[in-house]
Amino acid sequence: MLSKLNLNSPIACFVPLVAVVPIIKNVSTDLHPGGLSTLYNFFSAALFPSLNEVVLKNAISGMQTTICIAFVGWIISIINGLFLGIICSNTFIKTFENPKIIQKILKGLLAIPRGIHELIWGFFLLQIYGLTPWVAVLAISIPYSSLMARVISDQVDSLNLKAIHAMKISGIDSLKVFITVLYPKLIPIIITFGGYRLECALRGATLLGVFGLGGIGTELLLSIQSLQFREVWTSLWILGIVVFSLEKLINQFQKRVAQVRSSRSYSISFIFAITLSSIISISCLNSIDIYSSIKTIPLILPPITEFIAAITSLSLIKLIYETIVMTILAAGLAIGVPPLMAILFPSKMGSNVISIIWLILRIIPAPLIALLLLLSINPSVSVAALALGLNNMGVMGKILKENIERADHSTYAAIKKIGCNESIAWLYGKLSFQTASYLAYSFYRVDVILRETAVIGIVGGIGLGWQLQESLSSFAWAEVLVVVTSFVLLTVIGELISEKLKSNLIKHSLSANISYQ
Amino acid sequence: MTKTYIKAIIGSLVVASFFLIRGINNNWKAPSVEILKISAIPDQNPERLNRMYKTLASELRKELKVDIKYIPVTNYPAAVTAFKTKNLDLVWFGGLTGVQARLQTPGAKALVQRDIDSRFHSVFIANKKSNLPVIKDKSGLKLLKGKRFTFGSESSTSGRLMPQHFLKEAGVLITDFKGGMPGFSGSHDATLALVESGSYEVGALNEQVWLSNLTAGKVDLTKVKVIWRTPPYFDYHWVVQSNLDSRFGDGFTKKLKNTFISFNKKSDTQKKILEMFGAEKFIPSYDYQYNDIEKIGREIGKIR
Repeated sequence: MLSKLNLNSPIACFVPLVAVVPIIKNVSTDLHPGGLSTLYNFFSAALFPSLNEVVLKNAISGMQTTICIAFVGWIISIINGLFLGIICSNTFIKTFENPKIIQKILKGLLAIPRGIHELIWGFFLLQIYGLTPWVAVLAISIPYSSLMARVISDQVDSLNLKAIHAMKISGIDSLKVFITVLYPKLIPIIITFGGYRLECALRGATLLGVFGLGGIGTELLLSIQSLQFREVWTSLWILGIVVFSLEKLINQFQKRVAQVRSSRSYSISFIFAITLSSIISISCLNSIDIYSSIKTIPLILPPITEFIAAITSLSLIKLIYETIVMTILAAGLAIGVPPLMAILFPSKMGSNVISIIWLILRIIPAPLIALLLLLSINPSVSVAALALGLNNMGVMGKILKENIERADHSTYAAIKKIGCNESIAWLYGKLSFQTASYLAYSFYRVDVILRETAVIGIVGGIGLGWQLQESLSSFAWAEVLVVVTSFVLLTVIGELISEKLKSNLIKHSLSANISYQ
Repeated sequence: MTKTYIKAIIGSLVVASFFLIRGINNNWKAPSVEILKISAIPDQNPERLNRMYKTLASELRKELKVDIKYIPVTNYPAAVTAFKTKNLDLVWFGGLTGVQARLQTPGAKALVQRDIDSRFHSVFIANKKSNLPVIKDKSGLKLLKGKRFTFGSESSTSGRLMPQHFLKEAGVLITDFKGGMPGFSGSHDATLALVESGSYEVGALNEQVWLSNLTAGKVDLTKVKVIWRTPPYFDYHWVVQSNLDSRFGDGFTKKLKNTFISFNKKSDTQKKILEMFGAEKFIPSYDYQYNDIEKIGREIGKIR
């Protein structure tokens, strides 16, 4: 049934907006003016960030630590992801005639690291390795490797198999075939998607500041919790400037690469990018003292009886239900609103203003958005979903805009010429070509949102995410493992569904357009 | 083409320079000498935490003649874990986290506490729109059933454990609140702000934080009021690892304890430290004082 859905009409982008209805309905009844003065204080503090020497120094050095962690974690995840992704692809299996079952198992196993949020990895690893910078680096690179692997294998499978088949028939060695066909196709994917993952890594490392590694996240979360809004803004401004410059830099790099068409030039830029990245990451390793001795602390697995007790004592069905509702609502919001905003404000000015809004939403961590919302809205699942949705909307909005900017606009120009208004021209001239890739990317985003439900406990003990925090802070390992397993299962089920939907999408769109999947 | 590369190289160098600066500004240099690593559960804003513990570290350095470093940790369980993995030597814990840390770290001991910690209180505050009366007797907490209620951090003694304990004694379970669960605002300040706004009708927080916000004029008393003050209990204390004597010389732990106890308001720095801690003086603290907290922790499920 799923494969019969037509996801290629631009209207499909707006279907997720259905989720907005219950959110607006709940939130509007729960809205109250009680927190307006606090909110006013928060926003007016934006113009007067604290310039206290200690605050500023901590924020800047925190930012540096965060960048280092993000960068090293990212480079590790790219290398692992590339390797694992290729091995998991159907194309690889067919080329080498490996048994399909191995690939199935491997793919299944890879859902585990992906199903667990960076923060949770961070906490696990902290248990094993103690307080070292490795913890943050690994916490980023483990889930990201697996995510990268998934993207790479999807992309590899969207490539044309005929060439491989033809070459194999003519008797060329499998490995050579594989490299020849894949190499020029994969590099642009790594550069575009990989560049985007670096931005994600930066956001992830910011959240990881929670683990006492002194990153900017540390400063941000503590000043949020103590409601020191001027200090919050010091960190937000620095974070905003860094994220903005990094995104611009990556964007520039991607544009240049896109202009260079021959595979030789690709190779040169690719090698250049990798070398440079390695040099930077080695200097990072130095600066976060990664060589310091690593001691492992043995973890004792709790006995079976405790697991059984955990399963019976946790109201798992309710927790899972809440998590799913929260994820769906947040995802609908995050996916549906950006195209809507773009169509409502198609002018150059409008689109620039919206871009700034997306940037702000991206850099403010979801827990802070939740706290701000809670100042004026009574707690409910809708508020949690709204906070997560807004944060992720910032990412989706950016992706939509970049995809559209990168595309060919001749149809758009043609539609405008025949006298259609700006919005209609945008819908059929621009969005319709990006629908498939935008929605394909959305499926990955749903995963991210599912994992991020872990950081939104402030809204009233909702969902698996909150339970995980509660169990972790009680050091109840059996419960932690039960909850983590539920997360992983949800991720796997989500992927099975999205795979069905996506197989429909990939056919239509992605062989040439490698933008952001 | 060449231009592209030049631009790319320049851009990359700019980025790289950021890392090199980082390299110089190195926070993670491997210690060549023994360093006493102190930390604290994060219950205040980072600027204040930094000021507080850096001043304390330099004062202890002066008195004890050893290298001391303050390592910030940003959540309660991470502080417990870092103590357990011996990344931290001396940590300012709350009642519950201190017990969790000692149970997971063989040999660790409670060292000193503030004068106020031996008789610590939480307060329940309510938004005036909720029309809740001042509660005279513990059993009056029953009135909170069906209200929107928030705790502070999950692991907080004064913001969660003890309030939940007294609620339980009054026959109120956490599932009795509106929405089937209480909120967890993450901090005492956030609890205050959320109750003041009315999003949560009632909340429980650390009395010391309530009072200091009150003196600083940050509370809008037309919107929020105290409805109940809990009976006293033991809270915050410094917990030490057991290996300090072997690392810093015989009698070091005792010397450390005496240094804290000797802090007084005659010295300017010590006066500042005591003020930041909100204490008149530090007094000895003993493991047994936290037996009740451990029992309650087990009942509520925060200690396994």
